[in-house]
Amino acid sequence: MTEPAAKAVEVVELGKNYGPVTALKSVSFSIESGRYYALLGPSGGGKTTLLRLIGGFLRPSAGRIFLHGHDVSHLPPNRRPTSMVFQNYALFPHMTVERNVAYGLKLLRVPASDIRDRVDRMLAMVGLVGYNRRMPHELSGGQQQRVQLARSLVLERDILLLDEPLASLDAKLRKDMCLELKRIQEKVGITFIHVTHNQEEALTVADRIAIIADGELVEEGSARDVYETPNKRFTAEFIGDNNVLEGTVSDVSATGATLDIGFAKIEVPAPAASISTGERAAFSIRSELLRIAGRDEDIGASWQVVPARYVEDVYLGLTVSHLVQLPDGTEVVARVMSDSGDNGRFEPGDDVAVGWPANRARLHVA
Amino acid sequence: MTDRGRDIPAPPARWKRLVGEDGIQKWVFYIPVVFFILFFAAPMALTVVWSVFERTQFWMEPGFTLFAYENFFTSARAENYVLSMLHAAAAVVISFVIGFPIAVFIRRRVTRAAQHRVILLFILPFMISELVRVFAMRPVLGRNGVVNSVLMELGILSEPITVILYSPLGVIIGDVMSFLPFMIFAGFLALEAVQNYIFEVCDDLGTGRVRLFADIVLPLAAPGIFAGSVFIFVNSMGVALVPTLLGGPGAVNAGLIANQAIVALDFPLAMAISTIMIFTLVLLLYIGHRLFDLTKILEPIS
Ligand SMILES: Nc1ncnc2c1ncn2[C@@H]1O[C@H](COP(=O)(O)OP(=O)(O)OP(=O)(O)O)[C@@H](O)[C@H]1O
Ligand SMILES: [Mg+2]
Repeated sequence: MTEPAAKAVEVVELGKNYGPVTALKSVSFSIESGRYYALLGPSGGGKTTLLRLIGGFLRPSAGRIFLHGHDVSHLPPNRRPTSMVFQNYALFPHMTVERNVAYGLKLLRVPASDIRDRVDRMLAMVGLVGYNRRMPHELSGGQQQRVQLARSLVLERDILLLDEPLASLDAKLRKDMCLELKRIQEKVGITFIHVTHNQEEALTVADRIAIIADGELVEEGSARDVYETPNKRFTAEFIGDNNVLEGTVSDVSATGATLDIGFAKIEVPAPAASISTGERAAFSIRSELLRIAGRDEDIGASWQVVPARYVEDVYLGLTVSHLVQLPDGTEVVARVMSDSGDNGRFEPGDDVAVGWPANRARLHVA
Repeated sequence: MTDRGRDIPAPPARWKRLVGEDGIQKWVFYIPVVFFILFFAAPMALTVVWSVFERTQFWMEPGFTLFAYENFFTSARAENYVLSMLHAAAAVVISFVIGFPIAVFIRRRVTRAAQHRVILLFILPFMISELVRVFAMRPVLGRNGVVNSVLMELGILSEPITVILYSPLGVIIGDVMSFLPFMIFAGFLALEAVQNYIFEVCDDLGTGRVRLFADIVLPLAAPGIFAGSVFIFVNSMGVALVPTLLGGPGAVNAGLIANQAIVALDFPLAMAISTIMIFTLVLLLYIGHRLFDLTKILEPIS
């Protein structure tokens, strides 16, 4: 465990109970050094608990935590190579921006001239040049979070923990701050672990994403994999706008499987997990891959096509969602760019066909 | 609003002029001002005015004389008054030393749900009449009192200590016992406003206990400590009951000096003493302001 190439974070069968409440069941995963890692999941899933365990603010009920190969399970937060950025209200309200950032260094007895240099460099890094003498209540929410970031980064610890750092910012600012965070992480090159329940935020900042729900790690992978080829049905339902249909496996071949969904048999590429005939399973397909056409139109050779009835369209700004109903009553959504000519072709009640590229569907064992 | 207004008959013109369209709301704002004038500014102004009136046999009559002040400053009263200030200051310091750690303990070590219940416990003594509460100190602090008998039983003392009752020390002990909860409340309320995150950041940075107290807790609780201190100081100076019951012969505080003047039917003197108390407090607040910049301390912490 102590070889030099050790992972920045390695968590082994980590569990946490709050009295009778199990917040984290038994989670194992690792994060490579220098990654921007997001913990994404629904509210109450245990993300904060996991982050606080890594940071040392909570004691694990079970399992161990290794940071750079060292078991830190018993160490307090300041003795770990981590630093935490909190959601909100975490600046010292009676200190100026400068003193807030400098305070940690002062505790480490860094010489005053060094402190000034490092504080100024950090404030420049987070884009707050000239804010040295401001008090926290004279800053906007976004600026306060930047100060918190500077206060953590100035310590030069190897792992930065961020618990919903952007949750109290408005949508526009959140987007800007996401890009800013990513830029800063690339510049300092340390490991960032960022907790959020906002998938857009996670996809923007992170190299890798772990989906945390119900106290368990559902799935872990690169941002692109998690979005485009989720293994778990939960991930497909949580990230992006996916259509999920259930059925029974009727045939398994070397390259894929056939799923009987009642009114049609669907070809799906080979799943990650091994499956057998007769099993219940589901497949998912992203709504932006679906295309709606007339019944007798030819959508494409390698496309999977099923009959449907057109229900309605919903304008969402960038995209328009077209709702269609399959023969068994389930509704699926096809998303089309608003400026595409495919909008407005059908009236509610029209008989249509809906199709998708057969190789883009993913099979999920239920 | 306009829709409903149509069915309601218009109010009489004069009423309308007085109250106006949004008149009620406008006047409501002035109620605190009226209160302030009626119950705060006016009595204080009268106190100052009456202190220079001529004394008559049973009351006083309009006039201008500084006789009451002369009387105050040339008698033992002035000296007693200064002593009373020192005793009050001692009570404040002791209350801080005992009370503030209790407030910190409740905020930091008691679970959130239980905090207010614990704070309520400190209110319970206020349910008992102050007279009874202070009087009950006598059998505790006396020559054969609880403190002495326990210490002698334990062999820590061979002779009973007598300076803790019917003495200035007895008064200070009584003041601390009576007013300590104010320091606990005020300190706790100030600390309650401090987000838990702040303490977690300190854990993260590795702020030791001493630095946490000096750099974070004390400055953030300063407004509360200040409010509690002023309250204890004013009460220690002004509540006559404590020196009366625990002070023994000759023990007085500012409140008792004024009381004695009233009993002697020397109302201008009583008013002069009160006026001096008002100015003492204003002066102390001013000095405090110059030293610590109170507006900064009391500035809302966001
Ligand atoms: N101090 C606590 N005492 C008892 N239960 C707790 C405590 N903190 C969290 N929990 C429970 O543990 C579970 C996980 O909580 P956690 O805060 O880790 O969720 P989260 O994923 O961060 O959610 P959110 O996105 O809402 O912040 C929840 O069911 C929560 O109710
Ligand atoms: Mg959380």
